[in-house]
Amino acid sequence: MPNTPIMTVANLHKTYGKAGSKQYEALKGIDFTVNEGEFVGIMGASGSGKTTLLNMLATLDQPTSGEVTIHQQPITHLKGNQLADFRAKEIGFIFQDFNLLETMTAYENIALPLTLQNVAMKQIKPAVENVASQLGIAEFLTNYPNELSGGQKQRVAAARALINQPAMLFGDEPTGALDSSSARELLDLFSKINREQAVSILLVTHDPFSASYCQRILFIKDGRIGQELKRGDLPRKDFYQQILDTLGTFEQ
Amino acid sequence: MLTKLAMTGFKNRWRDYLVLFSGLIMSSAIFYMFEALATNQSFLKANTGISLVSIIFQFGSVLLTIITLVYIGYANSFLLSMRKRDYGLFMLVGARKGKIGQLIWLETLLVGVVATLAGILFGTLLTMGISQLLINSLGLTLHHLAAWYFPAALKTLILYVGLFLLAGLFNLITLTKTPALKLLHSNDQPNRPQLKPVWQAIQIIGGTLLIAVGYWSMANLDKLQMLGIGIALVTIVMGTYFLFNAIFVGLIVWLKHFAVAHRGLNNFTLSQLSFRIHNYTKILSIVALLFALALGAITTGMGFHRQVPMMANASNAYDLALVNPTKTERDQIRALNPKTQTDYHFKVAKKAVYYQASEFNAHPFTTLNMRGKNQLAFKAVDNSAKQLQKSQYSYQLGQLQTDGNQLKAAVFLTPSAYHKLAQPEKTLTVFATKDVIANLPALKRLVKTAAKHDANYKVATNLGGRYAAYLQINSMYSGLQFMGFFLGVAFLAMLASCLMFKILSGAAADQHRYQMLDKLGTTHRQLTGAIRKEIAVLFILPGIVGVVHVLFGLQMFKFLMVTSPYTGIWLPFLIFAGLYLIYYLITVKIYQRIVLQ
Ligand SMILES: Nc1ncnc2c1ncn2[C@@H]1O[C@H](COP(=O)(O)OP(=O)(O)O)[C@@H](O)[C@H]1O
Ligand SMILES: [Mg+2]
Repeated sequence: MPNTPIMTVANLHKTYGKAGSKQYEALKGIDFTVNEGEFVGIMGASGSGKTTLLNMLATLDQPTSGEVTIHQQPITHLKGNQLADFRAKEIGFIFQDFNLLETMTAYENIALPLTLQNVAMKQIKPAVENVASQLGIAEFLTNYPNELSGGQKQRVAAARALINQPAMLFGDEPTGALDSSSARELLDLFSKINREQAVSILLVTHDPFSASYCQRILFIKDGRIGQELKRGDLPRKDFYQQILDTLGTFEQ
Repeated sequence: MLTKLAMTGFKNRWRDYLVLFSGLIMSSAIFYMFEALATNQSFLKANTGISLVSIIFQFGSVLLTIITLVYIGYANSFLLSMRKRDYGLFMLVGARKGKIGQLIWLETLLVGVVATLAGILFGTLLTMGISQLLINSLGLTLHHLAAWYFPAALKTLILYVGLFLLAGLFNLITLTKTPALKLLHSNDQPNRPQLKPVWQAIQIIGGTLLIAVGYWSMANLDKLQMLGIGIALVTIVMGTYFLFNAIFVGLIVWLKHFAVAHRGLNNFTLSQLSFRIHNYTKILSIVALLFALALGAITTGMGFHRQVPMMANASNAYDLALVNPTKTERDQIRALNPKTQTDYHFKVAKKAVYYQASEFNAHPFTTLNMRGKNQLAFKAVDNSAKQLQKSQYSYQLGQLQTDGNQLKAAVFLTPSAYHKLAQPEKTLTVFATKDVIANLPALKRLVKTAAKHDANYKVATNLGGRYAAYLQINSMYSGLQFMGFFLGVAFLAMLASCLMFKILSGAAADQHRYQMLDKLGTTHRQLTGAIRKEIAVLFILPGIVGVVHVLFGLQMFKFLMVTSPYTGIWLPFLIFAGLYLIYYLITVKIYQRIVLQ
């Protein structure tokens, strides 16, 4: 299983602004692969193009050129129902600002991807309860998002992202709005899910502590991948130090 | 500095302000339109002759004021929700409360005054346009109709500005008394749908009772008079609100138990509805009432419109009669292809008109004899001279004579007696076409030709027969028809702007929800379907209640109409359903465009 790529990114470019008007090239040719079951981090300063990259990978935006394949399927040109199906079945996202529907309870939020696929109610209930207990939110299922703390909200969002058993989980600064202990809890959960369920995770962050949970880190600067760091068998604390050192030289 | 900040807030949200302004302008324009008719006493007197109409208008005006009150309260909370965040920010950066209060007050008042002035102007134009359209398409004659009517403008301005002063005060208190942080995060507070069975049962029973009382008093308007309308107004408004309040929450909680509710986006749609349930019950009650008023007004207007030809047809068996028609006139009659045409000769004395009995025996004169009490049920009877002499309906022959001879007694003589009379002999040519309404223009030309040599034909009241009856009855009922259609259009527009306002004001908040659903892998079809369903619920519920209200409300008009107010109601109902459907489709389109981009 190791070293089977689940996602390949080839020569990805993104230019904002229409031709003729003021243009800005946010991504200037990005290449990398993510293997099945890998936990990869993407780091970079604010404005370096992390969100732009993640949006391309997660089908939320289209690149100017280049190709992304997930599960051998090219995704950059998906449209309409194919795109919707792909998002519903193959990938899950977690955003910094939770992106929960405040009109629905935690349970209903988590169940949404399944109800969208018209899964029977009998199957939905155990699935939601299962993922909720894994993420430690079983007791909050009847709460509305505004009745939850930031950490709880983010775990609900994670549960929603995971309920379809996606091939890839994307996170854009998921700990950005959390206090340090909630952030630590969430990252521990990510590691656990990654280990136990072999879900591949791609985490975008500018925070070295979050990044230290990853197995491999790509550093992005000015729209290009500048450096790569592998954790190997290093304990997390040491890897954290290594990240700090790398950032010190990389950000110059 | 702060004023500058406030202005930038204004610029950033011009779309929301556009919704707010167009809603308010529409509302004040319609209020003005209504008042322009309701307060114009000379118009009402000249065109209806029924004192009840004036009373109905006064109550209508009260009702519209209540609706306006709710509407402005609603618009104001929209304005408030729009500005809460901005003002919270101002407070965080250290603006003084007094200064902010001043700004809020000013902004609210400014919005109100500008929208009302524009609304009055727009209302004047609307009144002008709609009345021209109705007059031309229905063939109405109206007196003292004024599109610009100062007292109505004044009343509109005073009501709206007064309400906005109150709203400004309310905003001042809420915004300055709420902590800044709460203002910043006040937008996303869901309402947990709560079932309180006892309270709901009370509301259902109370609401049903209130509505029943309202229906009863409308049906007994003859005994209750003005009081009946007052009772109906209060009880039906309150009853509708209670029923919606109790049933709507229950309905959503109940629907969530079904498996279908958990397929696709159905659960999302139900949650959307329950999220804003309290706003919805108010708006739905208003829409149900407006629906009933609009449909009721159009149905009544149409009832009067349909009644005019029926009454004309029941007035006489003949379309028109000419005395001594010339050759051209006879040609014109022949061109009309009359069903019957008879020449009766006569001589006029001081007190009587003498005819020859033999002519009537050879060509009997048809009278329309009433059957029972209903003015429109008649039996056509052919009369010989003898029968006609005895008949109480012989006045129908008299009517066909020209002015001056109409009230003289008809006497049928033997030929010898007739020939002894020295007066000059004249001919009365009576005729009936198949359809007097279809032949109105040709008949009008004929009368115009005749008027050239006989001044009697210049005035419709000098003539007899269906043609003249049609003209007279139409002018009598023009006012009622006009009001029916005019108010129908006005209420429909009000309804439209109410629902539009409600739906568009929620659209901005829904935008991010739909974007989120899109990210989760919802197909475009599922999204548009969810929108269609959500808006359909908002249209169908008040529609049903509105139709029920109208069916009972028409009871009021059995005292004003000759025919039953229920005959042929399928037509206005169908037309209204069509308009409502078109309106639904437009709303769905606009909403989809905003939310899905
Ligand atoms: N929609 C857009 N239009 C134009 N420029 C954009 C847009 N989105 C991002 N950018 C620009 O692209 C660059 C990378 O942005 P982003 O990917 O959001 O950075 P990060 O997430 O790393 O902070 C920034 O300079 C930003 O200004
Ligand atoms: Mg970012």
